Amino acid sequence: MLEDNKLVTEDNIARAKDLLGCLERNDEEGAREIIDELALVRETELYQEMGKLTRELHDSISAFGMDTQIVNIAKEEIPDARSRLRHVIKLTDEAANSTLTAVEECVPLCDDLKNRSSALYEKWKRFVQRDMDISEFREMSGLIGQFLEDNTRETEAVRTRLNDILMAQTFQDLTSQIIKRVIALVEDVESNLVNLIKLTGKGNAELDKLVHEEDLLAPKGPPVPGVDKGVVSGQDEVDELLSSLGF
Amino acid sequence: MNMKILVVDDFSTMRRIIKNLLQDLGYMNIVEADDGNTALPILKKGSIDFLVTDWNMPGMTGINLLKEVRADEKLSSLPVLMVTAEQKREQIVEAAEAGVNGYIVKPFTAATLKEKIDKIFERIDG
Repeated sequence: MLEDNKLVTEDNIARAKDLLGCLERNDEEGAREIIDELALVRETELYQEMGKLTRELHDSISAFGMDTQIVNIAKEEIPDARSRLRHVIKLTDEAANSTLTAVEECVPLCDDLKNRSSALYEKWKRFVQRDMDISEFREMSGLIGQFLEDNTRETEAVRTRLNDILMAQTFQDLTSQIIKRVIALVEDVESNLVNLIKLTGKGNAELDKLVHEEDLLAPKGPPVPGVDKGVVSGQDEVDELLSSLGF
Repeated sequence: MNMKILVVDDFSTMRRIIKNLLQDLGYMNIVEADDGNTALPILKKGSIDFLVTDWNMPGMTGINLLKEVRADEKLSSLPVLMVTAEQKREQIVEAAEAGVNGYIVKPFTAATLKEKIDKIFERIDG
């Protein structure tokens, strides 16, 4: 700070006395020379102070940039985290697709079994009520034999697909581990950013002014409990809101 | 039940889920698009009877697709159901003001989908 540099020196006192003498003698040129000298003293102090501040800033920036942890975060860990998160998307996509495939293959098998068993049940009821002639009974026996044979094969196929669905859920364990690692990185980045903000010397009030106002209509994706505000809690609230708007 | 439905979502898995649920409800004539930009030319060809769209998609979002549909003379009365994870009150109000016919938040159930579709067509037929 400028106040730290002493202005009260013997040289300056002598200069002041000389200046007073010049003014009393009406020696304008002499007074001007002394004022210029004093201005030079002042400027030199200013340059020294600026030099000191520049050095401090340079040292701080160098210290920050040379921090190996930050270099490592920027060069390795963030690109790594991107790849890890892409892998999470891939794993969840594969799990969802293999589950959907299994379901799509099961649906026609279940439909077939259901349709044939309900048709057979209708025939069976007529048989029990003795409302069936021998030729129809023979036809029904053939259908029952065929149905039992197909049923064994088709339920086995459904069982295999249920197992596929079960195995597809292993993504949860894998993706959780990957995401936990990325959360740890985000925490590191956060603490380094806090240090950087401290370095700029901005107070919380100043920083609050810099926080952008949220665009309420921009798409946000799924709301996260405890994070997103102003969101409805579910379909019932959506319905209530829409009905209050005349829907 | 021969209604032709366009399902718009950037995630193929969500399109598959909606398609399966619609097929369960007996709607077999389903086409897909992955955002508003690919959906709009399909709609403009003129054979779609019902639009089911997500909100948050790259390219053209669902809300902008809805606005385009309402601004197009031939499409302006097309029933539109939004199925989305966007659940800010302001967004729901905006969709309502833009003329959405139904709004479902993800995750949703097969019963909710059926209920909203029935309600939309009850209104139209009534």
